[in-house]
Amino acid sequence: MLAVAAPRMTPAGWTLRAVVSAHAVAIAGQPVFAGMYLTGDYAGLSLHSAGADVVTSIGYLQVIVAIVVWVRLRQAWPFLATSAVVAAETVQYFAGLDGALWLHLPLGVTTVVAVVVQFIDVWRRPLLRQGAADA
Amino acid sequence: MPSGRGVTRRQMLGIGGALGLMAATGLTSAAALARRPSITGAQLRSAVPLPPPFQVPLPVPAVLKPVGTSGGADRYEITQCEASAEILPGVTTPMWTYNGTFPGPTIESRRGRPVTVSHRNELPVPTVVHLHGGRTPAASDGYPTDLLLPEGRQEHSMHMGHGSEHGMHDPRAVVTELTRDYTFPLDQRPTLLWYHDHRMDFTAPAIWRGLAGLHIVRDDAEDALGLPAGPRELPLMIADRAFAADGSLAYPALDPTLRVRPGVREPYLAGVLGDVILVNGAPWPVHEVDAARYRLRILNASNARHYELEAVTGDGHRLDLVQIGADQGLLAAPVVHRLLPIAPAERYDVVVDFSGVPIGGLVKVVNRLGSGRTRDVMAFRVARKAADDSRVPRTLSTDLPAWRRSDAVRVRDFAFRAGRMHSGHGWLIGGLPFDPARTDVTTRLGDVEVWRLIADVHHPVHLHLVGFRVLSRSGRPPLPHDAGLKDTVSLRPGEAVEIITRFDGYRGRYLFHCHNAEHEDMGMMANLEIV
Ligand SMILES: [Cu+2]
Repeated sequence: MLAVAAPRMTPAGWTLRAVVSAHAVAIAGQPVFAGMYLTGDYAGLSLHSAGADVVTSIGYLQVIVAIVVWVRLRQAWPFLATSAVVAAETVQYFAGLDGALWLHLPLGVTTVVAVVVQFIDVWRRPLLRQGAADA
Repeated sequence: MPSGRGVTRRQMLGIGGALGLMAATGLTSAAALARRPSITGAQLRSAVPLPPPFQVPLPVPAVLKPVGTSGGADRYEITQCEASAEILPGVTTPMWTYNGTFPGPTIESRRGRPVTVSHRNELPVPTVVHLHGGRTPAASDGYPTDLLLPEGRQEHSMHMGHGSEHGMHDPRAVVTELTRDYTFPLDQRPTLLWYHDHRMDFTAPAIWRGLAGLHIVRDDAEDALGLPAGPRELPLMIADRAFAADGSLAYPALDPTLRVRPGVREPYLAGVLGDVILVNGAPWPVHEVDAARYRLRILNASNARHYELEAVTGDGHRLDLVQIGADQGLLAAPVVHRLLPIAPAERYDVVVDFSGVPIGGLVKVVNRLGSGRTRDVMAFRVARKAADDSRVPRTLSTDLPAWRRSDAVRVRDFAFRAGRMHSGHGWLIGGLPFDPARTDVTTRLGDVEVWRLIADVHHPVHLHLVGFRVLSRSGRPPLPHDAGLKDTVSLRPGEAVEIITRFDGYRGRYLFHCHNAEHEDMGMMANLEIV
């Protein structure tokens, strides 16, 4: 760890960290709002659906950032992981609108876990240009 | 591989793969284990052989004749008594009945012409009669503690299920012995109502045993529309039941005498479903029809079973279900459905046109939410060609109330969900189980209110006294079948519904509750005081 003398994070890397962090914060609110709603707080419903819009929007933004990371840093992983998360969130969005709770609940837990794992992944090591890091 | 990383790429791949596998397993098990479509309740299994479908002719309940008329009001008499019925061919079933039949006799009445029904209780338990959908003064609305005791059972007034067990009693209860007059002004839109037992803690088993009947209100404006009438107007009371080996109706009551301990065995807490579908008291009946339009006045009188009805011809083609009315009477204009969801206590007034069906053809009424035997409901056999001068006008009514959100003087929120009551499982409204001595909602006569109802599982929510309109479902516009004026709205799991109503008619103590009859008995009722 100390051998690699402070490798410089590029702006693309920092942007990915920022977007993934925002994504994690937004998605953490969703079960909270769902809990409010299901215990009878009607405001929880609008918060949960507004939250769904925010989470999916951040997801799509993250896809764009991940593409930039892929192009600039030659790292495909963030893009692949983000695509999986965004696909799950899209299904999740419509499962919620549809009232398909058998899918909405477990998939919701899964997507929260996936975003948290991604959050850990982007923060635990610097995103460097592929090749530069391995050199 | 970079040596500086705590986790190698291979390990990352392994972790990612494991998480992916967990997610896939979780979602697959959810898909396999969850009920799709979702159903609230557990099904009993009959212990007698069940008849094949579409063999028994559809009965139509007899219309009760008044015993007298005075001062522009009709007087009827109904005796609540035990009787044996042959519901399944060759099987004798002891039942609790209104006048010895199931369903009870139908009362036909005219808008604004009061009706008094004198009920005589010859059953072994106290009873309460409620006219569902009736705009009725509180004294005749059948409050659950306003008991009608059997003869010589005065001590029962001290024994009212969990009320007395837990040191609560209802000082406002008006208890009578042997007979009781219920007066219904019927100053309301013409529609299909139904009367049924509403006794504290034991409504569900009493309805299950047979205490339900129809009450129709008509007026001149509706008669003038030219809708299918006479033999081409059929009431259809759909209800599921299950049969024990001795032919009696199976029901998982904790107290089989239905006197002291309310509730059902644990697996059935969410609701009791039967494996036999009855229409007007007959299992999977068949009815011969002309190749013409019919007006079907459908009531779901099941305790907990929901249906999604469709009418399917022999070649698999679905007939239009043209909805002309809701719980509280005619819509403004017809709404065409192919699939019609109906929750317990809801009514739909529907016109079906059999003229395109070949003579001899069978039209099955199917429940898309059922499986196996409960998928079939009944069938129509198209027997003959016939002239048809009926019509479905484009405008059905012009008197529907047009309340707007801005008219509402207050907004109330209610959560309908599972919870604990008196150390047992129960169903709660706003976190509380029913208590006759607690006023949950107080409103002024004439006030317009918006109520926001939120459900955890299926809860068909019913308000006594008033009709309401559905404003939204889960923040989105109402569904096509929410049209018109309703008195029961079906909340699906996780769903929120906004309704608007005006509390007018009469002052007094009324109820609102879930019409899943098991939920209702296990706490899911609340008091509505109109002052
Ligand atoms: Cu309920």
